[in-house]
Amino acid sequence: MPIVELEHVRKAYDTKIAVEDLSFNIEPGSMFGLLGPNGSGKTSTIRMMIGITVPDSGGINLFGEPFTRKNLHRVGYLPEERGLYKKMKAIDQLIFLGQLHGLDAATASRRAHAWCERVDIMPAIHKKTEELSKGMQQKIQFIAALLHEPELIIMDEPFSGLDPVNATVLQDILVELRQAGRTVLFSTHRMDQVEKLCDNICLIHNSHLVLSGSMREVKSHYPRNRVDMVFEGDTGFLQHPSIEDAKLYSGRAEIKLRSEDGIAPDAQPLLAEAIRRGTRITRFEVKEPTLEEIFIEKVTQSANNGGGKVYA
Amino acid sequence: MHNIWLIAKREYLERVRTKSFILTTILIPLLMGGGIVVAVLTQGKPDTNSRIAVVSADQQLALDLQTEIESNKDHHYTVDVISPPVAGTRTTLDGELANKQLDGYLWITPAATSAARPTFSYTPRSDRAYATKEDIKAALRSVLIRERLSHQGMVASDVTSLMQPVQLDTTQAGKNDSSTAAYVTVIILFFLMYFVIMLYGMNVARSIIEEKTSRVFEVLLATITSEEIMAGKMLGVGAVGLTQVFIWLGAALMLTGVAAVQAMAGGQLHLSLNAAEIIFFFVFFILGFLLYASIAAALGAMTNSEQELQQLNMVLVLPLAACFFAMGVVVSNPNSAVSVILSLIPFMTPLIMYLRISIVAVPVWQIGLSIALMLASIYAVLWVASRIYRVGILMYGKKPSLPEILRWLKYS
Repeated sequence: MPIVELEHVRKAYDTKIAVEDLSFNIEPGSMFGLLGPNGSGKTSTIRMMIGITVPDSGGINLFGEPFTRKNLHRVGYLPEERGLYKKMKAIDQLIFLGQLHGLDAATASRRAHAWCERVDIMPAIHKKTEELSKGMQQKIQFIAALLHEPELIIMDEPFSGLDPVNATVLQDILVELRQAGRTVLFSTHRMDQVEKLCDNICLIHNSHLVLSGSMREVKSHYPRNRVDMVFEGDTGFLQHPSIEDAKLYSGRAEIKLRSEDGIAPDAQPLLAEAIRRGTRITRFEVKEPTLEEIFIEKVTQSANNGGGKVYA
Repeated sequence: MHNIWLIAKREYLERVRTKSFILTTILIPLLMGGGIVVAVLTQGKPDTNSRIAVVSADQQLALDLQTEIESNKDHHYTVDVISPPVAGTRTTLDGELANKQLDGYLWITPAATSAARPTFSYTPRSDRAYATKEDIKAALRSVLIRERLSHQGMVASDVTSLMQPVQLDTTQAGKNDSSTAAYVTVIILFFLMYFVIMLYGMNVARSIIEEKTSRVFEVLLATITSEEIMAGKMLGVGAVGLTQVFIWLGAALMLTGVAAVQAMAGGQLHLSLNAAEIIFFFVFFILGFLLYASIAAALGAMTNSEQELQQLNMVLVLPLAACFFAMGVVVSNPNSAVSVILSLIPFMTPLIMYLRISIVAVPVWQIGLSIALMLASIYAVLWVASRIYRVGILMYGKKPSLPEILRWLKYS
């Protein structure tokens, strides 16, 4: 039974449509990516899932039943716009938020200390929020979402503004939680960040669903038609007829090959051409398209077909 | 309920611990105390013992004046009589004034004819001796009247009994006895409410704006409802205000307590309050505060900055001002239909109903109804505020217009 079910959900604010006819399921124990550019409706979708707003039409089920507030204790939420009380000490803040999620003060305090140790911010716990660095504040907020051991963890742009080291710390924690059987929902516009993390994804654009399914499934629909080249010398090979589109950087090229009906194209002729021209090749890699490339392709496609309102 | 308590507790503890709260709580009573001490120190001294001289050719008049002035109850005067004056008298007196041995002298020039009055001229050491001047004037008046009456052939004892001050007894029957006291306590309630609402009601609004700018609400809304946030904020911030006011009131009572007890014992200040009235005083004060605080919460939900909030200040002040003007109508006829209706309007109940309760016997159902109406309106205002809050924060950025606010109430 899916832990989250959305059926034909629609939400409009005044004249602006935030979400239109959105349906997807999140299976328990999976890591789900809700992806899309800024303003595509990700946060609006999440807010409806946790009852901050109510959909205009369509249904949302959480834990297999229609939304009820009591189920909110089973959800951990990290909002996109971080908010902590500026004048409050970090540890008091965590205990307070833990209590709001139904913990007693002692349990909240014990878990908060353990988590702070885990993410290495023990020296900061008796400081006020306004004295902490952005990264530390984000860690506190991250902990606040996990303190009550929620079954469903919702993270809206969890890594934005974090340096790579700290981003990895949080990422590892999320992977660990998923392995422990929790369900994790990510929302982000940085598709490259979640590509290796997510089991399932849902791509939205301008309030509409563009693509959804398991990562493997989505990728399998797209042939390995990308070539990454690192080279020195003549660039004349870029005129080869098998190339549909190419981006040339200094000593590097990202190439998209012509392909038909999902059949992987042959990259050998291109390689032969480059060698014939005497280009020195350091790297020649045939790859599947990245999620971002799939997204852009999908969005332009539907624009060409006249479907949806696409400005990208 | 538990969530409201948590929000209120956090709000209360965080605020009570701030330096500004601790400082103002301690400093205000200290300043009050200091003010009283200074007042006492500066007030008592100059009047304790004034020495003045009366210069007159008419010795009897001078002696009468001496007796009259020295009999003054409020101030202690020592009066020297110089009669008759000699050539150097004025110079001597001026010299005494200059080296502060004397506070002033009264120079009486005899009348030229028996029908005319003598002329009086008072020379004080400083212009500030206003009270002294008034005392001398009063003494002169009574001495002169007495003298004239004796001249007309009246017996001295008759004159004395005629000059006795009148005693006005103000005992009235029944409940009306305490109407002055009632009025005084209503005025105290009015100013207390005005003061507390101005000082702390706006804090509720500010705290809600602060929550919006810090954007904590999104985490909160993921677990609790906006109604709970509103109610918690109102109670928490409100309790901070009440704590401070009660500390100040306590300090004020301690400072003035001795004086007040003395005054009451001396019969100068007569505040007759029974236990029921004291209970009603606090019930209406707290309910009134909560009602106005809930309006402040709605104002905070509507606005995005302190500046915008300032412009809406009037919304809180106007209903209170209306109460003040309505008080006149109610006092003159506390059981009229108008008074009953006014006292049932929730925004007026705290003052007007309390006023009626302290003047006349108000039917229990009216008191019950007024309290129920107040509770209902607190709930209704909070409900509206939480709606505006919830929709407002999700569409932040611009100031909502009234039609928009009305439309928001329909959103869920």
